[in-house]
Amino acid sequence: MDIVYYIVLVPMVYVACVIFVVGTVVRLVKLFMTPKHSATLQIFPERRPRWLWALGDAFLLPATRRYKPFFWVVLMLFHLAFLLLIVGHIELIAEIKPFQVIPHEVFLGRGFVGLVLALAVLYFLFRRFVSPTKDLSVPEDYYLLILLFLSVLFGSQMDWARRWYGYDSLSAADYREYLSGLLYLRPHVSIDLTASGHSFMLLLHVFFANLFLLFLPFSQLMHSIFSLPMNKLRRG
Amino acid sequence: MDTKTRDELLKLFQSKLNQTMRLYLETCTRCGICTEACHAYASMGQVRYISAYRHEIVRRIYKRYFKGRGKLWPSVGEAKELSETALDELYEAAYSCTGCRRCMMYCPFGIDTQMLMSIAKLLLVGAHAEPEILTMLADTSIEKGKSLDIFKESFLAGIKRLEAEVVKKWRIEAGKKAIPIDVEGADLLYVALAGAHSIIPAAAVFNAAGEKWTLSFFEAVNFGAFVGDPTRTRLILDRIINEAKRLKVKEVCICECGTAFRTMKQMSGKQPFEVSAITEVHARYLRAGRIKVDKSRFKKKPITYHDPCQIARNAGVIDEPRYILRHLTDDFCEMSPDPRYNWCCGGGGGLVALGEDNLDFRMKSARVKVDQVKATGAEILTTACENCHTQLSNLNDHYKMGVDVQFLSSMVADALVQ
Repeated sequence: MDIVYYIVLVPMVYVACVIFVVGTVVRLVKLFMTPKHSATLQIFPERRPRWLWALGDAFLLPATRRYKPFFWVVLMLFHLAFLLLIVGHIELIAEIKPFQVIPHEVFLGRGFVGLVLALAVLYFLFRRFVSPTKDLSVPEDYYLLILLFLSVLFGSQMDWARRWYGYDSLSAADYREYLSGLLYLRPHVSIDLTASGHSFMLLLHVFFANLFLLFLPFSQLMHSIFSLPMNKLRRG
Repeated sequence: MDTKTRDELLKLFQSKLNQTMRLYLETCTRCGICTEACHAYASMGQVRYISAYRHEIVRRIYKRYFKGRGKLWPSVGEAKELSETALDELYEAAYSCTGCRRCMMYCPFGIDTQMLMSIAKLLLVGAHAEPEILTMLADTSIEKGKSLDIFKESFLAGIKRLEAEVVKKWRIEAGKKAIPIDVEGADLLYVALAGAHSIIPAAAVFNAAGEKWTLSFFEAVNFGAFVGDPTRTRLILDRIINEAKRLKVKEVCICECGTAFRTMKQMSGKQPFEVSAITEVHARYLRAGRIKVDKSRFKKKPITYHDPCQIARNAGVIDEPRYILRHLTDDFCEMSPDPRYNWCCGGGGGLVALGEDNLDFRMKSARVKVDQVKATGAEILTTACENCHTQLSNLNDHYKMGVDVQFLSSMVADALVQ
């Protein structure tokens, strides 16, 4: 079993990260080396400065707020929670002072950020089982959401166990030791990580997160990067 | 479909894959926010008219032939073979879309359905499966550009017959031509449609404004754009561009035709002349006091204005028609609080040109437009696009809306004060 833990927690993480970074860079380079469209694709009336309006469109989704307000709230909560969890993972690698403007224990949100994210993903998933979104969806839409849900669920469960049930066999310091070891290319999987009653949660969390990272550069999840230039096209 | 045909079609597909198109093809999350954006879906409630559904028909072929994932694991994205069935689906998607780009306002990423449908249309052209009438009309326009001398005399004779009608609307000095043609050094080249309704009112207003203008030999409408053939679109544009350069005009003014205006304005590239819509020119004349109109001409008749998608949302002529209408009436009612979200009339993208073939679809798919017009309580429904005018007139008859559908330029000409 130890070998499974080691493969998932070390080499698979490196492979996923390399494929994520290289895949993303290659896709971006290939895309931005392709000739641009010669005519404007702007929508009028024009609002200036156009880049600022494009930023607003990309991050605040005004049309979604206007036409699907509930979906907009869930989308906003999802993206905010996702961002906070990324910050949380960075803090798990090393203590970063600027993030402690509001003093907090890693992760932010006392476990509720993960809960919000999990519920938002479930909402995204279940709405795809209802027409007309069902008629638009393709299998990868479901796979990605299931993958994300599983990753969030097992990751959050570790946080919930510490915060809500007082489970202290695995501490933030244990995770920090593991993650910083990976970052500085001195991977070390301590016995505490693999022998705890919740170790399988960590294993599954990292496994699904790896799969998610592996798939991300080749999927529509790249909208996280493409959204801004596309909105700029619309703003002219 | 044989391999050779498929390869040729895929080459056509490849020719459309610029950076923007790839972004549009690779980013859609099928979130469904665009669901209610299309007038056809809003009117008929059928999933196949949702913008993202139309996109997917093109995107599935893209995934199959241009993405590694579509080759290795086609089922995950439902990548699809390019086949005769796929061509039928492409036809259904492309020729039920008017290219109004209203869905672009809804999409969080601003995906342009008209652009994606241009791939579908090009593939149909390559497979000789496009509506023949559109190609035929495009080829006729191109042929006219190649052999101007053959039809020149009959065209001049036809124009001569219209001059008396122009003078009825605006008297001109003796010896002056009511419809000048082929005037080198004119300030403005007016590109009309093949029809007196597009020439007489415009000529009267130009003459009233004392414009140094000349009428183009060619009609403005670009059937190449309707059929989605970039080569034909360019050839049709080039006839007018070459004429404008030959006559050394400062401005090319496009008549009330949305597609003609947008293609000339945005797709002709950098030219030594300005491109304007006739609505912009009329507003300019009013602002400068070069023409005056009589407000009492349309008294006691509430007026509403339909923003043609290609002129307003897609080319920015939004304030000018309202400025003109403020001079024509005190009883103007807006159709939509935000012109960007105005419903399409349902006749764009070449659909009106298909005539009776798709009349039933055009009527059913534009029910929301009818509701929008009725809600204004207007008696005069004016617009600045030939396609929109035809479609709105058809809707008026079909749904018995009881409005008087008018061209904005005709209203200006009718209200001119001598």
